[in-house]
Amino acid sequence: MTVTAKTPPRSETQSPATAEELAEIVARAAAAETALYPVGGGTGLNFGLPARRSGLSLSTTQLNRVVDYPARDMTITVEAGRSMQSLRELLATQGQRLPVDAPQADTATIGGVIATATSGPRRFGHGSIRDFVIGISAVDGRGVAFKAGGRVVKNVAGYDFCKLLTGSRGALAVITQVTLKLRPVAESTAWVVCDIASYEKAETVLAELVRSAIVPTAIELVAGPAWERDNLLGPASGCCAARLLVGVEGAAVEVAWMTRQLQREWREQGIADSQVIDASGAAELWSRLCEFPVESASGLTVKATVRPSAVTRFVAAARAIDERALIQSHAGNGIVYVRYPEFTANEALPVLVRGLQPAAVAAGGHAVVYQCPADLELTHQAVWGPAAPASAIMASVKKQFDPAGILNPGLSLFAC
Amino acid sequence: MLTQPGAADDPTVSPPEGTPRSQAHTAAPSPGTEIDYGLFLDCVHCGLCTSACPTYLELGNENDSPRGRIYLMRAVTDGRLGLTQEVRRHLELCLDCRACETACPSGVQYGKLIEPFRVAMEEQSAGPRKSADWFHRYILFGLFTKPDLMRRMLIPARISQRLGLVKLAEATGLLSLLPARLRRLIEMLPPPERPGPALPTLLPAIGKRRARVALFTGCVADVMFRPTHWATARVLQQNGCDVLVPQEQVCCGAIHFHAGSSEPARELADTNLKAFDHRNVDAILVNVAGCGAMLKDYGHHWHDPHQAERAAFADKVKDVSEFLDSLGLVAPEGEIPLTATYHDACHLGHAQKVREAPRRLLAQIPGLKLVDLPETEVCCGAAGTYNLTEPEMSARLSRRKLDNILKTGSRVVLTGNAGCLLQIMREARSRGERLLVAHPMDLLDLSYQRKQPRL
Amino acid sequence: MIATRLPALVDRLRAVVGDDGVLSAHSDLVVYECDGFVIEKNCPDVAVFPRTAAQVQAIVRLCNEFDVPFLPRGAGTSLAGGCLPVGGGVMIVLTRMKEILEINLRDRYAVVQPGVVNVWLTQALKGTGYHYAPDPSSQGACTIGGNVATNSGGPHTLKYGVTVNHVLGVEAVLPDGTLVEFGGLSEDQPGLDLPGLIVGSEGTLAIVTKVWVRLTRDPQGWRTMLGIFESVADATNAISAIIGAGIVPAALEMMDQGILVAVEEAFRFGFPLDAQAILLIEVDGLEAGLDQQRDRIIELCRANNARDVRLAASAAERQLLWKCRKQAFGAVGRLSPSYCTQDGVVPRTKLPYILERIIDIGRRHEIRIVNVFHAGDGNIHPILLFDERDADQVRRVLAASGEILDECIACGGSVTGEHGIGVEKIEFMHKLFSAADLDVMARVRHSFNPAGRLSPAKMLPTAGACGLEQRHPGRRAAM
Repeated sequence: MTVTAKTPPRSETQSPATAEELAEIVARAAAAETALYPVGGGTGLNFGLPARRSGLSLSTTQLNRVVDYPARDMTITVEAGRSMQSLRELLATQGQRLPVDAPQADTATIGGVIATATSGPRRFGHGSIRDFVIGISAVDGRGVAFKAGGRVVKNVAGYDFCKLLTGSRGALAVITQVTLKLRPVAESTAWVVCDIASYEKAETVLAELVRSAIVPTAIELVAGPAWERDNLLGPASGCCAARLLVGVEGAAVEVAWMTRQLQREWREQGIADSQVIDASGAAELWSRLCEFPVESASGLTVKATVRPSAVTRFVAAARAIDERALIQSHAGNGIVYVRYPEFTANEALPVLVRGLQPAAVAAGGHAVVYQCPADLELTHQAVWGPAAPASAIMASVKKQFDPAGILNPGLSLFAC
Repeated sequence: MLTQPGAADDPTVSPPEGTPRSQAHTAAPSPGTEIDYGLFLDCVHCGLCTSACPTYLELGNENDSPRGRIYLMRAVTDGRLGLTQEVRRHLELCLDCRACETACPSGVQYGKLIEPFRVAMEEQSAGPRKSADWFHRYILFGLFTKPDLMRRMLIPARISQRLGLVKLAEATGLLSLLPARLRRLIEMLPPPERPGPALPTLLPAIGKRRARVALFTGCVADVMFRPTHWATARVLQQNGCDVLVPQEQVCCGAIHFHAGSSEPARELADTNLKAFDHRNVDAILVNVAGCGAMLKDYGHHWHDPHQAERAAFADKVKDVSEFLDSLGLVAPEGEIPLTATYHDACHLGHAQKVREAPRRLLAQIPGLKLVDLPETEVCCGAAGTYNLTEPEMSARLSRRKLDNILKTGSRVVLTGNAGCLLQIMREARSRGERLLVAHPMDLLDLSYQRKQPRL
Repeated sequence: MIATRLPALVDRLRAVVGDDGVLSAHSDLVVYECDGFVIEKNCPDVAVFPRTAAQVQAIVRLCNEFDVPFLPRGAGTSLAGGCLPVGGGVMIVLTRMKEILEINLRDRYAVVQPGVVNVWLTQALKGTGYHYAPDPSSQGACTIGGNVATNSGGPHTLKYGVTVNHVLGVEAVLPDGTLVEFGGLSEDQPGLDLPGLIVGSEGTLAIVTKVWVRLTRDPQGWRTMLGIFESVADATNAISAIIGAGIVPAALEMMDQGILVAVEEAFRFGFPLDAQAILLIEVDGLEAGLDQQRDRIIELCRANNARDVRLAASAAERQLLWKCRKQAFGAVGRLSPSYCTQDGVVPRTKLPYILERIIDIGRRHEIRIVNVFHAGDGNIHPILLFDERDADQVRRVLAASGEILDECIACGGSVTGEHGIGVEKIEFMHKLFSAADLDVMARVRHSFNPAGRLSPAKMLPTAGACGLEQRHPGRRAAM
């Protein structure tokens, strides 16, 4: 398990082998009011405020069994500690996949991906992990095991805790088992890439993409020094504000048609030079774009979510703060990752609170700290942005799941 | 739990489905007593009809939806509910446009529920009967159904229109002193235009004779829409039809029937049966959807020894667009470079299920661009005499219709019913919108004549 | 005693929404005693028609002040009694909140009020190249607020997902009268996924007053096929083969012989009456890939003993095929005076098994059952035919329905794929979920709705929910 500097202050790690054991540990901790930090692969611990209260680390990595894989139903039921990589390999044997990107797939667990609502470039075409969880089992902060949903793809019985627990960051319950909806593996994939001279032009091209005849799986806008001299993309042309990468997947005939069509559409919009990256290059690009948000534990990575039409404006604002900022945006979804190479706490606060967060709010969204060094002291507002009006009801939901307040105390927006 | 003061019985203890009808609260038998109870059972209460209903669209009140009205009628019939003033109002507000029948997946025959129920409701009514008030007696029944009388009555109205007196009266508010329904009737009048001579008994086919048809000219329509009758006849001639216009024909009886007067309607029907020699024509053609729907229903409105004969007559009745579409239109050649939109008259679309035929005919006019009308299937509020009897709801619906027409950007509206034409014209006039409102036959006729419409 | 306060409540409500926004006469309230589920009935004491979120807030506050239950209602097309005012009280009818507030194609979203009818949004989007994907069969009447409450599906959910997959955010009035926004036009908002919780909560957590929905690109083309099979097993094997081949059809519907005969009698589509099952299969997407998928599907159907596979050659033929599917229920009305549609789900591979069980259950109870399935999702809609005037048949239909749903649970499925729990299936919640599961759900409900005045006795079999004893099966049309 990779444990970074921000791993919670824990006296020990417990690794239960069954959900029942896990429930007992939680019940004991609840009785003793000991803080519990559920950990899967430990790849998402840099998100949010660091934990201050000491307690136990609760690892799910031993809960890694495949409970049921009826491939012809295109669903799978697995325990939460299964790694994304091994899940991917298993599904591939049946020509299937979970089309959700997760960085560090060899260590990241499915439970962790769900708890953190991790996503990547494919969410434009496929949706995010919340769209694939159809059944969930978990243990709440009282040590009570419960489930919701089921093993069928369509089911409206009871509250949809599959959604509620997705992205709840372990603050409501510890996920022990999930049932997922699956998709067929795509026969073929490729990227079509171009350099765009200005942010204004970038917005024009992105807006045209909304009306394009093609059906992109990913719409990525990248900017910053490292992207400009990327070996896979080749050196950027002279005056390039950003590079636009459109990923397509499907049958070989579809991919071939879409790459040709997009190049044709771009030429009509005055983009003469675009390149197609396919075969192994395409696979590598998918993986690089998937890993980008967590590539560096140093510096400061901010995740902003804004109106898709405001992405380029936000990117411009982020780079105006520091030219060296590296940007990756799932531009179709309005998600922007900004990575600054270095920051001291004194510099970070005004950049966040007076710079990026107001810019995100003006763009119809919000900005949160996605990763930062452990020694960077940040306030709640700096990490989460202005208080969410719904946080009161969130806190009240939290209280019902975790009355003693032992699950991931202080890590969430709504439960300090 | 709150309880409703004055609620006679506990509403939670409703009789289970299928319980035989008990006695109604009121002494009189329920207006639904004569209705085949199976027709109520056809409704499975799914609610798919609700948003097809114009009054529900406007009010959002389940009581003013088809499902709600069926529920009310059944509750009254079952004796669960008295025929209260509220219930009567909800049933009276129904336009009888039959949009609900189009929407219903279970084939509920709503018309066969609401029409007899309202007739019985009228007959039993303790207060003054709807058909007995001055407006119904003198204007609707007396005037509307007697074309000659109406023509004469309209002369002073026409003169005052020509002299601008209506405008003057409108401007000075004099018009508002008239009773509301009469005022609306005056406002409904189309712009003054010479009606032209009456149609002759026979208009012969032009070119090779393809069919022999009789044209129904009706009562109100013959007065107000004689130019459209001429246009229709000319289009039929162009398409190789001998057009007979029986002179003894009378009103179709729809106004009477829908206002709850079944007997006068039967007399009119039988007069028409005598006037039209249906065995010797290929079709009896109607260009007014409201009349067409009524004529097509002659076969099952009355159960008496003449029923079979009326059914045979009804089998020959076709809307003119329906007939021309199946005959195969002789393509008109005169270009009309306009953008137009088509409004589905309820009595054509819902009652007769004629929707594509007029569109296919219009598509053959060179240069004419037909654009979709949002909510084309929603009633314009004319609904026979509804615009006169329920002016407030009627006004809301005509406002809605014109708003939708304006959204299309088109300045030409085509529709196959006299009531809709008048209603839309009046609405456009009152809002100062310049709009050409015409019958599809008017436009086809112009194209054959290589003329342009006057906008 | 409490009755004496009703006139005061009505006066206060009138002050909020105006005289024409309140119904309080008994004869005006009778139609609100049930929705598409007609087994249980109860009149509200008042029905009120707000036009704004602020009015909804004011109404909710009055309900709290007068300590009366309240619940929202849209078009009232629920097939599970979702709009049944258990305990009476105030029904908040949202049909006058019916504006499409915004359509933004660049950012691919629309903002609508809850009373907007599902199909209005699609009509408003006509010609833009975008649509709103969830298309329940009742889409011509049901409201988007109601879709949010029940997480509605439709024939196209196999590929495009259900309502929750298309809702970005909601504005809602909480049971204490507070107005909040959950989610919104930007994705991944920090904190809990409360839109995900609200969708499908059947009006037990909050009253939704505004919805942000995602718009979906129209497909470039379609291929619609009709596979005719000699046996149900062949048809279901073909379904598995198609999905196993990596094809995700936009829709995959199955009809058995019983319903086929009804459809044929009613509409004369020219189906062979001795066929045991037909599959309606539609793929959509890029023209470039459609012929390949079509050929593969035809091949797979043939490999699974399809007698014939017909292809819709034109848009008109496609419409005709869909008409036969969508009007199937109307046709059933011609087979018997009454019928009851069930809504169960099984894993797709269990379709042949559940169908065998349904046939057996029908035989044992001497009830004729015909079947229409959203086969691609494993969502079954067995239709039980009976005569409601025969008390013994009624009893047998209830017993057979219960057994079918029990079988669905035994197969690892669910008792509702799209209609919801409402009041109809409350007793099945104990069979689907453990006491602990239900307790956690009740706790979540409590965190939103501590006084329990909003939609009491719905969805969760908690204190206050009367054990509904079904006297009579539902007679239902659409699904």
